[in-house]
Amino acid sequence: MTDATLKSTAPLTDSREGMTYLETLPRKVVTVYLPLFIILVVLLFPFYWMVLTSIKPDAQLLDLDSSNPLWVVNPTLQHIEKLLFGSAYPRWLFNTMMVATVATFLSIFASVLAAYAITRIRYKGAATVGGLIFLAYLVPPSILFIPLSAVIHNYGLFDTPFALILTYPTILIPFCTWLLMGYFKTIPYELEECALIDGASRWQILVQIVLPLAVPGLISAFIFAFTLCWNEFIYALTFISSDHNKTVPVAIISNFVDGDIFRWGSLMAGALIGSLPLVILYAFFVEHYVSAMTGAVKE
Amino acid sequence: MATDTLALKPARAPIREPSAWDRLRVNRNWLGAWFMVPAMAFLLLFLAYPLGLGMWMSLTDMRIGRGGSFIGVENYVYLLDDRDFLRATGFTLVYTFIASIFKFSIGLYLAVLLNNNMPFKALIRAVVLIPFIVPTVLSAVAFWWIFDTQFSIFTWLLQKWGILGKNQLINWLGDPLLAQGSVIFANIWRGIPFIAITLLAGLQTVSPSLYEAATLDGASKWQMFRFVTYPLLTPIIAVVMTFSVLFTFTDFQLIWAMTRGGPVNATHLMATLSYQRGILGGRLGEGAAIATAMVPFLLAAIMISWFGLQRRKWQQGENND
Repeated sequence: MTDATLKSTAPLTDSREGMTYLETLPRKVVTVYLPLFIILVVLLFPFYWMVLTSIKPDAQLLDLDSSNPLWVVNPTLQHIEKLLFGSAYPRWLFNTMMVATVATFLSIFASVLAAYAITRIRYKGAATVGGLIFLAYLVPPSILFIPLSAVIHNYGLFDTPFALILTYPTILIPFCTWLLMGYFKTIPYELEECALIDGASRWQILVQIVLPLAVPGLISAFIFAFTLCWNEFIYALTFISSDHNKTVPVAIISNFVDGDIFRWGSLMAGALIGSLPLVILYAFFVEHYVSAMTGAVKE
Repeated sequence: MATDTLALKPARAPIREPSAWDRLRVNRNWLGAWFMVPAMAFLLLFLAYPLGLGMWMSLTDMRIGRGGSFIGVENYVYLLDDRDFLRATGFTLVYTFIASIFKFSIGLYLAVLLNNNMPFKALIRAVVLIPFIVPTVLSAVAFWWIFDTQFSIFTWLLQKWGILGKNQLINWLGDPLLAQGSVIFANIWRGIPFIAITLLAGLQTVSPSLYEAATLDGASKWQMFRFVTYPLLTPIIAVVMTFSVLFTFTDFQLIWAMTRGGPVNATHLMATLSYQRGILGGRLGEGAAIATAMVPFLLAAIMISWFGLQRRKWQQGENND
């Protein structure tokens, strides 16, 4: 406390806001910057290591003593080249992207309709259905994959992209619906009433008034859903068996891993390239991404 | 203006009585039902039905390629005697408990750190979330390589610092206890960003004037956190931790990518064990029983946070929804 009273006699005429005048730089370095730096290093180290491994020549990967393993001398692109031209990796990347895109669009379509009906048409029992959809969000894929695999077999979808395209929406729809409900609630009701008086149908209201106003919400839902699809593993592992239908996460685990130590480079290059599209997408839409994540939690 | 045009125009056709179809068309319930069709079709066919089917399958001796017959609770009775299942259940609980505690405390600490004013604030926040963006399996593969027995960078560092002898190796993922620690570490690493960023969003809604008032009253930093920040954050903490506990408890990807349940089944979670027995072993009924056995734990987790949440709302003087 004496500390604080001493500091408070410092001049208050500079541009600092609020109570920041109580903080001095050395104190902030110890209490904020240093711990933050340590946590950031731990959080980012695996990616650094991933990048480093994917451009290191095999000799350096297997000999930690001849040069500093935390750095790379003579970087090589051979792992990435081998990956892109010597394996089915492009095909897997294409599968992942295709499945994720189609499943995301399907889910957003279904979620927009459901969210609009729940928040604005407010049919009988809408609140209950909203609650049930939230519960569906809490049902994890790991208790569903065994019965789902039986269902997929019965419908004749096993080992086709449709097995994934049709099952991923069950993970995405509850989330997207919940997120979009929050967005739709913020749109003034009066706008819709005006449109109704002018003779617009519900469908016209949705497409021409509500959706244009909910674009930020749609982008958030899209990006988050796309990331979830890309990340999905257990369904893809269970429902897909042939190599050419696999998605990147499954292929990385099952096709590169055979105990052969010389594959570490390609494995890391595969993991790196498999993450890049998401990281790039994320870099462009950070704000939307964060609002999707926090929006779903806050509701 | 409007009345003029109305007056000039002669009335056209007499207004007809609304037909049943007209009534139906503007009926909220009818319209609402149509809007719900796509979402409901997906959720009923691929979520509700499999959920019920899974419970039924857990009561049969179904195998891959042949339908089963009803055997009552035999699967469960068998599992109660199965050492691997009990071990997996125990480890799942330990895994969830330890990982959640660390994720929560480090995540909250990181959120408080990020809430400070500093240069490159936006960039740092964006970078923190990267472990959450990158697909779990792909970062798990990176951890697998980091924890490799022969070429682990950790081992190398420990040797370098003289903690380990020159040719001493650590069998990170080969020794049961170390492997358990390693996968828990990876899970904590992966979970921190989500918790930190969502709690940060909560922190930003806390009004600075509360801190100013607390400072005037002579509160220390810790007291400010304990008596101002924490009580205001509890609702969002309850929700975030429910999600975190649920997804940690049902984790599959991380374990499957790093250890596949080994060594000697030490790192099996219930989800991975159910995959191994149900899909790889072909005993669908038994696999479904393991998966169904997770449900009571999940319900308990949801209930605890749900009622915890309501109590806090009541404490804050708000209505219970």
